[in-house]
Formats: sequence, C-alpha cells, structure tokens
Amino acid sequence: MSSIEAVTVPKWGMTMTEGKITQWMVGEGEHVTRGQEILEIETTKVTNVVEAAATGTLRRIVLKEGTTAPVGALAGVIAEAAATSEEIDAFIASYADRLGAGDEGDGGVPVPRTIAVDGGAVNVLEAGPQGDETVVLLHGFGGDLSTWLFNQSALAENMRVVAIDLPGHGASSPIAGGDVFPKIVSAVEAAVEAVAPGKLHLIAHSFGGAVAAAIAANRPSRVGSLTLIAPIGLSRQISRDFLVDFVAAERRRPLLGVLERLFADPSKITSDMVEGTLRFKRLEGVPEALSAIADTIADDNGQLQSIGDQLQALTCPVTLIWGERDGIVPVPQQAEVPGNVQLRIIPGAGHMPQMEASSAVNEAIMENIQHG
Amino acid sequence: MAQKSFRQALNEALHFEMGRDPRVIMMGEDLTGGAGANGVKDAWGGPFGVTRGLLDAFGPERIRDTPISEAAFIGAAAGAALTGLRPIAEIMFVDFAGVCLDQIMNQAAKFRFMFGGRAKTPLVIRATYGAGSRSGSQHTQALYPIFTHIPGLKVVIPSTPYDAKGLLLQAIRDDDPVIFLEHKMLYDTVGEVPDGAYTIPFGEARVARDGKDVLIIAIGRMVQVAEEAARKLAAEGISACIIDPRTTSPLDEDTLLEFTETIGRVVIVDEANPRCSVATDISALLADKCFDALKAPIKLVTAPHAPVPYAPNLEDAYIPSADAVVKAATSIIKR
Repeated sequence: MSSIEAVTVPKWGMTMTEGKITQWMVGEGEHVTRGQEILEIETTKVTNVVEAAATGTLRRIVLKEGTTAPVGALAGVIAEAAATSEEIDAFIASYADRLGAGDEGDGGVPVPRTIAVDGGAVNVLEAGPQGDETVVLLHGFGGDLSTWLFNQSALAENMRVVAIDLPGHGASSPIAGGDVFPKIVSAVEAAVEAVAPGKLHLIAHSFGGAVAAAIAANRPSRVGSLTLIAPIGLSRQISRDFLVDFVAAERRRPLLGVLERLFADPSKITSDMVEGTLRFKRLEGVPEALSAIADTIADDNGQLQSIGDQLQALTCPVTLIWGERDGIVPVPQQAEVPGNVQLRIIPGAGHMPQMEASSAVNEAIMENIQHG
Repeated sequence: MAQKSFRQALNEALHFEMGRDPRVIMMGEDLTGGAGANGVKDAWGGPFGVTRGLLDAFGPERIRDTPISEAAFIGAAAGAALTGLRPIAEIMFVDFAGVCLDQIMNQAAKFRFMFGGRAKTPLVIRATYGAGSRSGSQHTQALYPIFTHIPGLKVVIPSTPYDAKGLLLQAIRDDDPVIFLEHKMLYDTVGEVPDGAYTIPFGEARVARDGKDVLIIAIGRMVQVAEEAARKLAAEGISACIIDPRTTSPLDEDTLLEFTETIGRVVIVDEANPRCSVATDISALLADKCFDALKAPIKLVTAPHAPVPYAPNLEDAYIPSADAVVKAATSIIKR
C-alpha cells in the first residue's frame, strides 16, 4: 500500500478543543514538501499555521475553509502519486473510526504540577517521552508557560520538554523580599533539579533569558545547549514603558494595549491571552513581585542585567533568535553579541517570534539542540 | 491550577476574607448548616453547602443563624455595616428579598448619598436565583433587574467558579452595598480557581469567547447557554463572540459598545423576565450609542413574561435555550 499521511487539526495548548480552518495555503493536487506551511487554523487563543508532516501531493481536502472541527479531526490527506483514489477513500473512512480513540482525549492531555521550593511553589508542565536529556522552557516578563503552546508539543515529539512558570507568573508563587533575581534563579534551579536530573537544553525568552544564562553559568556541565529568544542582557536598549505599563494595567483594555506591543501583528492577541495574563496579575502579592522584577530588568537608563560574559564563557552551543521587528528588546548590534554565539533574525516577527513564527523558531531550537 | 466547584470557590472566598478581616461577619437562615438540629453543627454547610466549615473556623459570634425574618436580619446587617462591621447577609432565595426591600432600597442604598459620602455601608447580600431546580415559582426568579434599577446598589452575577471567588472577595471589600447573586444550577459547575486570593474589579466585562460574526451578551447562567449556542453556530461556520458583563451595576458599557461597533450583530441572552430588564436596558444602550454600527436588529432571547412554572417540562421550556440563541443569531446573520 502506498504511503498516506493525515493532516489533522492539532492541539495547541491544554485548553484547545477545536479549531476553524481559515485558509488552505495549497490546493488539492499540489505538491507539498515536509515542513511547508499548508494550512491556517484559528482557535480561541490564536491563529497559527500547520506544516506538512510529509512530502507528497495534497490529494484531498477533507475540511473546507470555514469549517470548525475538533482537535484530531482529519483536515486533509497527503499521499504519493501512486496512491489510488480507493486507497485515499479507505484511509479517510478508517480515520473517522480513529477520531477520539487516540490520545487526544482528556486522559492524554498533560496537566501542570507544582514543585515546592524554598519560599514558594513553581508550576511546571511536562510533555514528551522520558529520557536522559530534558528541554527546559522559560518564558519572559509577564508571560507564563502558555507562551510555548506552539513549541512545547512540537519539541516533545522526540524529547522530554518541561515548561516552567517563573516565580510571580502563571501559577507559581511570587518571590517576597529583596534580591529578587537571584531568588528567582535559585527557585527555577530547584524546580529543574526536581524534574530534570540529566542534561539540560535551556530555551528561554526575554527576561527568562537572563535566568537561563545564570543557570548555565552556575552549572555549565549540565547544560547541553542554550537557545535564547530576544533575551535581555546584551544591550542597554529596552522599552521601559512596556514594563511600567504592564505592571500598571489592571483591566482588560489597558492590558490589551500593552500586550499588543509584543507582536509585529497585534491581531494575534486574543481575549484568552489577556484574561490569562490578568488572572495571575490579580493574585495577591503578584503586582508587587512584578514591580520588583521590572526594577531588576531596567531603570530610566536602560537594561540592568548583563549576560554577555556568561554566554562567552560557555562551551555548549548558544543561539540567539530575534524577531526583526522587536519593539521591546531591539536586536543587538553585532559587537554586543559574543563571538561564540550564533544570531538568527526572524523576518516579520516582533518580541514573540516563538508565537508569531513558531515553525522557524522550532527549527532553530532543534538545530541548536542537535549541536549540543 | 486546581479545579474547583462554584460552591467551593465561594466557600474559599468566605474563609479567606473572614480570616483576613475580623470585621467580616455573616448572618442568615441555617448558615451554620444544622446547628441545633439533634446537636449537629455544620452538617450541611448551609442550605446550599456554601458556608461549610465557617462556624467551626470563626465561631457563633461571627457566623449567626437568624430567625426566619429577612426583614429583621437584613435591617440588622445594614445597621451593622454602618457601625463599622462588614456583614455578609444570606437570603436563601432572592425571591424573599421582597419583604426587605425597604431596608435594601430605601435605606442601605441611599446612605452614601444622604450623608454626603461620609457614611459607608459595606454590606454584601448573597442570594440564590434562577430556574431549573424544580423549586417552584416563589424560589426561582431572576430578580437582578430590580436591584440594577436602584442607584446605590452594586449588582454582581458571576458565571464561573473563577469569577465567583474573585468577585465575592471584591464584594466583601467594597464599601457600598452589593447584591451578590448565585445561580442554583451553577453550584456544581467546575473550573480552574487559584488557591490564593484575588479580586476582580466591578464594571469589567469578561470576553468569554472571541468571534467575529455575531456578539452574544449573556448574563449569569446564560453564559453557559451562550457557549453551547456558540459551539452549535461554529459547526455551521458562524463565529460567535460571547461577553459576560459580570456586574450589571456598574455595567461595563465601554466593552459592550466596543464589541458591538466591531461586530454589528447582537443577541442578548437573559433569564430574567423581558419587561424592564437588563436585556432591554443593554439593548437600549446599544441602540442609542452605536445604532450606525448595527447591521441588523438587536435580538433578545429571554424567559417569557410569566412566573416560573412548577411542571418540569414547562420549567425547562421557560429557560432560554441554546437552540433559541442559535435561531436568533442565524436570523440576523442572514440579513
């Protein structure tokens, strides 16, 4: 029998149950290559593209544009030219039987858990097969582990991937008192120790980049690779207004205005994203903790953290990924990037390329991990 | 994040705030849940199980069972609020509020205004409302329009466990009288609720679902009905946005107007009777402030203008259904 591959409605994030087919980027009968963007799907959280999992011909579009279907539903079929129409029909018929019988049900959805650390709790979400190596995802200021909804499941196809809510974010408890930055590093290190005993591949965004750089500097022998997305700590430039306005925004509309600055295309922001951010911002103790973190990131003269020396001292592969249109932490000058560090610019993306250009970012992450 | 029921979320809020602020007291009928009955204390956790554990935690001085006289204990609660306490008074069914309207609308609601802003009345009146529990027409009305009509009262109608906890904490901390209405059919619904304390400001609607073809504004339990309708509409390729005002006084007019301007087609779902209701009030607001943005008439899906029937089949027919919302939405999409 000829090789036939399903194109299905993916599950992006824990809460996604269905998606709407907004656009097929190729037509029936057209050739597609593995990794090519072929389908755009809208969810209650965000719109994203699906890549072809195989090279071949898009033989059948099952879900037309405008259709809403549950996660796991068969959207289309990619097959070799040799596959007959009867084989395609049989595949589609058999797929209908498989829907709901696989691991897309509630039982297959990973659920976050809480790790007790000194002075609080750190929330983690684990996915992927057990192994000696673990990919650790650290989000940026004001984010949470859902920042990685387009990355974690893709990376977890082959490796164990743990996404972490930084202290004061998501469902992790805030750090109290002074010395905020070292306490955050130490809380994250403790959580990582508890869930990822082997080699680490650290992937971190923005403020999380400084946390990851500190962890890598503290335990270089543990770290197999470091991939930082728009990290702080390489130049002085930063939008301090973003930090101040984020902390001050207590209601939906002002917060939406602040979050829009993160993206090159502000229409990416959904109400779920705003509501999710408000949820942790409204927890008692969090506004004060966020304010303290913002003060460790920048003052009126710009960024306060510096990670250049830490990166330079590392022997593992280090890659920086930056959105070309980043309005929060601008792309650094070449002189500000250590010589052992590779810099990749993602065209058309803002401060959140892992959401705006997830395919390119996933590819860059995998490449760096493979070098580690 | 932990999954908790609407009932647990309310109980957590009460436990937290009574522990944090010694001025918070509670009063109502059977709050202690069976105290005095065969020597059993806290057997039920109140008529709906919401106050379980409070008597043991805070004692009879702060958790007071009252005689069956709403007029008496609502008046006492209003007075206690004026003296510096922060009382929470529970009316078992909001239908019984009729006997204490003088204390609510003629006294508590007016103190701030009558005393030039110098009198605070931090009073919360919790009550159940709504049809579907086979409780008969004297225990099932959705009377929030009456309270929304009265200046000086804040009216809160949560639709999720998360909102129930955050809005109740906000209500207890508010310095004005708040009518906090809990739909009986929501008590067992489950959702994510943080363990820690948090407040949700009044006057901020929740965008429960993004969508671009039709705007469904739904109140209280009707948010669930709207969500079911939205799923059915999605299967037909129609994308519905759902907004839950969360508080009818203050009302988040800005959000309602903003989304109406963008979407242009509006269905309002309200379990209350249709005359002089929140649905008609919002409809008038939208027609007045953004008439030019409307692409079709505003549709109201409400209960009929009748008392809630006792016969189960009639009671079910009385409650606005998802199919009725779908029908209303598709009728204006096609225009």
